[in-house]
Amino acid sequence: MKEVKVEVVGPEPPCMRCQAAKKAVEKAAEKLKSSGIRVEIEKVNIMSKQIVQKYGVLVSPAIAINNTVKIMGRIPSEDEVEKLLKEAAK
Amino acid sequence: MEEKTIRTIRAGVILAFVIIVIGLLIYSRIVAYSLAPQSKPVDLRPLPLWQIPIVYLIDYFSHGTVCLLFAFTVAGLIYEFVPKEAITKYMGSGRVAGYGLALGMAPFLTVCSCTMVPLFGGVLYAGAGIGPAITFLLMAPAANILSILLTGEMISWELAGVRIIVSATVALVAGIVISKTPWGKAVEKEHQINSAASSSAKIEIVKPPLDERLWAALKFAGYLAKQILPFFLLGLVAVSYVEAFLPEDIVGTYLTGVTGVLIASVIGGPLYTPTLVEIVLGKGMYESRHVKRRIA
Repeated sequence: MKEVKVEVVGPEPPCMRCQAAKKAVEKAAEKLKSSGIRVEIEKVNIMSKQIVQKYGVLVSPAIAINNTVKIMGRIPSEDEVEKLLKEAAK
Repeated sequence: MEEKTIRTIRAGVILAFVIIVIGLLIYSRIVAYSLAPQSKPVDLRPLPLWQIPIVYLIDYFSHGTVCLLFAFTVAGLIYEFVPKEAITKYMGSGRVAGYGLALGMAPFLTVCSCTMVPLFGGVLYAGAGIGPAITFLLMAPAANILSILLTGEMISWELAGVRIIVSATVALVAGIVISKTPWGKAVEKEHQINSAASSSAKIEIVKPPLDERLWAALKFAGYLAKQILPFFLLGLVAVSYVEAFLPEDIVGTYLTGVTGVLIASVIGGPLYTPTLVEIVLGKGMYESRHVKRRIA
């Protein structure tokens, strides 16, 4: 079982677009379950010091896969996230 | 069909749509067709109360649809294609760059306020400090793409220009002044991180193919429209009554000169909640005043 860590970076309380981004990740993760990839999803606060320290200034919603920001300022499609997650699991 | 061909066709269709929207706007310019509502207080006043907003809305949308379509589409496109990662990388770098980017880039990054506040936080934490952060915070709503496009289309492009220049000046001055006050310095100290954005290697943005980006741009335009239009409609209903019943004398007497500016700024604050309504209302007042001048 391979593990991928995903951080959905957005303001707290989450805005609509971050929720949509998170949903896309959740759906992609659901699909990948059967192919043996476990996805751990975490919603983190874009305004927190830790996140700014880690990634610098970001545009929300951002998605970081295994500590690398892959998507910023847009809502990705489910398929796109799935592809990225598969790549990260390799 | 191959995937590549399908993608090219999809991108072509979306581009054609964008070109048609822009073309419509240019066409309306060429034939000198006004995109703003034409109702005058004299036409509205005799109508029964419930009819006023309906007549005004029909009037507005028979003229303004092209303009709204254009503004939302272009805003969506610009937001999607602005190189966000390049900008944010420099936003935390230094003071001068921070001010410059805050002024130059706030209009393009922030059509939605839920993007703006986190960016404010990011700029504040990541090194550029409170000055550029405040500049950014003020500049974004005062002069973002949507509001500039609509101001230009509905009132005049000169006023849109003035709006950009004045917001930039005010935002810059406020940023610099606040960064010099002891209070500002205290806030900055409290929030500063020592090793801000130390690792740019952690950001590798993936770019989807063109057709998907174009589609995402239109989807974002639709999202903006969905967020803004309900309030915009409510605002228009309010404006229709203002247009009908606010006597020109009041606008002419009180809303001029220094008192006028003061009163307008007090009224303007609460009215800003439905974003972009300020443009229609501003237009109403601007015109009432012109009517009065013409009579006098």
